[in-house]
Amino acid sequence: MKTRMIITVLLVSIFSLCMIAHEHLKFTEIHLEDNPLVAFRILVHTGAINDPEGKEGLNALTAMTIANGGTGDLTFRDIQEVLYPWAASISVNFDKEITVFTGNVHRDHLDEFYSIFSGLLLNPRFDESDFRRNKTNLLNYIRNTLRGTNDEELGKWSFQLFMYEDHPYGTLDAGTVQGLEAITLEDVKNFHENMYTRENVHIGIAGGYTKGLIDKMERDFTSLPGGKPEQIALPQPKPIEDIEVLIVEKPNRSTAISLGFPIDITRADKDFYPLMVANSFFGEHRTFNGVLMNELRGLRGLNYGTYSYIENFIQDGGSTLMLPNVPRRQQYFSIWIRPVEHATNHFSLRLALYELENLVENGLTQEEFEGTRDYMINFSKLWTQTLSRRLGYMMDSAWYGTEYFIDKIEEELMKLTVDDVNRAIKTHLQTDHMKVAAVTANAREFKEALLNNAPSPISYSGNVDESVTAKDAIVKDYTLTINPDRVLIIPVQEMFEE
Amino acid sequence: MLIRLFIIFLTIVSMCMLPAHSNDAVFPFPVHQSVLDNGLTVISIPFDSPGIIAYYTVVRTGSRNEVEEGLSGFAHFFEHMMFRGTEQYSAEEYNEVLKRLGADHNAFTTDDWTGYHIVASADALEEIVKIESDRFMNLKYSVEDFKTEAGAILGEYNMNAANPLRQMFERIREMAFTEHTYGHTTLGYLEDIKDMPNQFDYSLTFFDRYYRPEYCTIIVAGDVNHDRLTQLAQKYYSGWEPGTWTVDIPEEPPQTEEKRSHITWGSATLPHLMIGYRVPEFDETNIDIPALNIIGQLLFARNAPLFQKLVVDEQLVDFVSGGYTDRRDPYLFTIMSRIKNIENMERVEQEIYDAIEDLKNNQIAPERLDEIKSFLRYGFAMSLNTASSVARTVSQYIQLTGDFNTVNKLFNLYDSVTPEDVQRVARKYFTPTTRSVVTLAQEEVQQ
Repeated sequence: MKTRMIITVLLVSIFSLCMIAHEHLKFTEIHLEDNPLVAFRILVHTGAINDPEGKEGLNALTAMTIANGGTGDLTFRDIQEVLYPWAASISVNFDKEITVFTGNVHRDHLDEFYSIFSGLLLNPRFDESDFRRNKTNLLNYIRNTLRGTNDEELGKWSFQLFMYEDHPYGTLDAGTVQGLEAITLEDVKNFHENMYTRENVHIGIAGGYTKGLIDKMERDFTSLPGGKPEQIALPQPKPIEDIEVLIVEKPNRSTAISLGFPIDITRADKDFYPLMVANSFFGEHRTFNGVLMNELRGLRGLNYGTYSYIENFIQDGGSTLMLPNVPRRQQYFSIWIRPVEHATNHFSLRLALYELENLVENGLTQEEFEGTRDYMINFSKLWTQTLSRRLGYMMDSAWYGTEYFIDKIEEELMKLTVDDVNRAIKTHLQTDHMKVAAVTANAREFKEALLNNAPSPISYSGNVDESVTAKDAIVKDYTLTINPDRVLIIPVQEMFEE
Repeated sequence: MLIRLFIIFLTIVSMCMLPAHSNDAVFPFPVHQSVLDNGLTVISIPFDSPGIIAYYTVVRTGSRNEVEEGLSGFAHFFEHMMFRGTEQYSAEEYNEVLKRLGADHNAFTTDDWTGYHIVASADALEEIVKIESDRFMNLKYSVEDFKTEAGAILGEYNMNAANPLRQMFERIREMAFTEHTYGHTTLGYLEDIKDMPNQFDYSLTFFDRYYRPEYCTIIVAGDVNHDRLTQLAQKYYSGWEPGTWTVDIPEEPPQTEEKRSHITWGSATLPHLMIGYRVPEFDETNIDIPALNIIGQLLFARNAPLFQKLVVDEQLVDFVSGGYTDRRDPYLFTIMSRIKNIENMERVEQEIYDAIEDLKNNQIAPERLDEIKSFLRYGFAMSLNTASSVARTVSQYIQLTGDFNTVNKLFNLYDSVTPEDVQRVARKYFTPTTRSVVTLAQEEVQQ
């Protein structure tokens, strides 16, 4: 096997990259003089954890009312009129700790676009009508989209809330029904005033902008109020006793399952990198590289896919890549079992945990380690093909206080040994203490089966390999140490209510 | 020994320049094309993505080709089977090669075509040509693997089953197309999906018919040299024998009356509305096509009066969208909306019809037309920002007409659309007798 090397030309003369703090404002810049596009990312250090009690959703509603609202001079309608002929876009995404406003424009219209984009953040209009529309949209998202029409997202959110009980992370980012209903426009204005401060924003820009624009941005954003809101303290997540299960009951034709537990490492920790290799081997998102994908789908056809993660993972659109700018101070390990037929939900859960136990006990072989490490080093180079994504990853690196994440992956992975990976697995992964969330129509039957550790044999429409049936014979009786006091059934209409 | 890629993205210089003049080609990159003796077309598009290529294989077959009863969803199922290996590379070995390269790869199926795509290191080109040609020429899988993969298809159906729009699309197509294969969705009917494990023999027939050079095009964008690509294609694909199959797709008779249907949904949802008007197939010479796309913008862009009225001012709906979608045969101009209160269902439907009538009765201002043309050109230019998006764009037009230059012809046609064209096209296609309407709510609705 020969070494493959690709040497790329570094156009240093037209490229500059920097992260600078000026006048309490933090900037990340990627200047590419010849690039006709410009991408903005404005990170505000506020998220769902900053929602006041009883007003859950305030961060989300503030962000939505800003991004889908007007400026002091222009209404929402005016802005749509101006942006439309340029095909320019403005959007917002909010998570637990960060809210990010993104803008993309062709440089033909950069100055006018920037004036609107900055106006939304610095001088938001906060029309009653925009507030009402965005509030209704968030409420409909909870009441209808999540509860009614997207079981995969419902399962993932139910899991997160269950895992982070009595913890600042234990809320839906969009809020709760009662919380949103209690929020007034005055609350939104005050939240903006208090959280959108000079020291609480991080400004990112990439592409073919002029240097003069940076000076203007610096002047403009200096008009934000001073001060940095106190960061919300994060306690350790509550210990999990055995396997605790939340079953969300609703009519559906298949069971969506998410499971996992908090881990105490992030990208800033050394052990994140060996665990990244282990996770890719076990459950890389939407590929056949992972054990889970091969065992559940490839060999048994149980569902469309099963994957695992060692940090909060949101897919970027229809791609296989992770959305940037959703960093967290505390992370978690999770397995996402995409919907399985109700009849195989118990077996599928058992198989996923059986494979996890196998990973923890046996780790990776040298060959598996090398193949996965090389994959991660190479694949991670594909994560930053657009200006906006590269900018996002750079800003995340600043958030975690590390060097550029994509470079760090290579640097750290090149130093790893298989022993490092297997030690990290044993240190951070386990199968004894786990939270499971399932969305299913057969809630009571599933609960009984779990509590009784009932056998869960499965059958196939055709012959399968003997190795598969041999493993099935073990898995169907694989003991899950279920906490009998913690198998909860909640009707879907009660989820995210308060 | 470690295979390392040094793809250093200090030079993300996407060249999405906007043509200075409207008569310039809208597609800003050179396109090189060769055709092998067996009919396989090979296209390369050099694009500034140092060290990276996007490798697409376009198969001009999709659920449109599913002419036999009881076999809906088969083109999509077959896309899954293409990952099940050959004698030379088992499924695991195929995946292992791409894993070693750190490649991002997948596939998708639509009504009209199936796309297989790999984004990887440019110097892996030969390895990619080798494994892709092998599976397209020599795919071989067991009955057992075939039956197992059918389970994954059912899983894909299940993961979308809770989405009302999936069932609404199924219903509206069923109503609007009584003969043509657009009458079923790409995923297929549930009963056909459940029967897939029994269709092993048909799968061999399907492969034999469509996975032939005359149905396929190789498209590579990024850090690629056309001569090198052609040499490799010649080396690895020249043994691929052309087939003889041509599909006879039933023609859909004209629709002569409005069709309506209601779906009572079993769980929490806001009411939904879907309207489909029969419209012609994509044709790069038919000015009605860009005019229909412009009508989509006039009705549903975020600054459109209808959007502003329903979403922003009166806040009757949380979304309303729609437009023309390119198809090889006559399809639907589809409109969708989610309504906040069922009491407003009829009102919203009427508002949509009123907006359409307005386009029929009043010519739009030339300035508005210019804004839309500007939006479409900027939107197109800004979308070409990765090797993959460039390859995908060329693939889209290749599958429609077989000619990559179609995109330039289409945008030139846009330039010639006048307010009179828009009015004429609105009058021609948006008639009550050619529309199908599906409503969905928790409640029953009197039709």
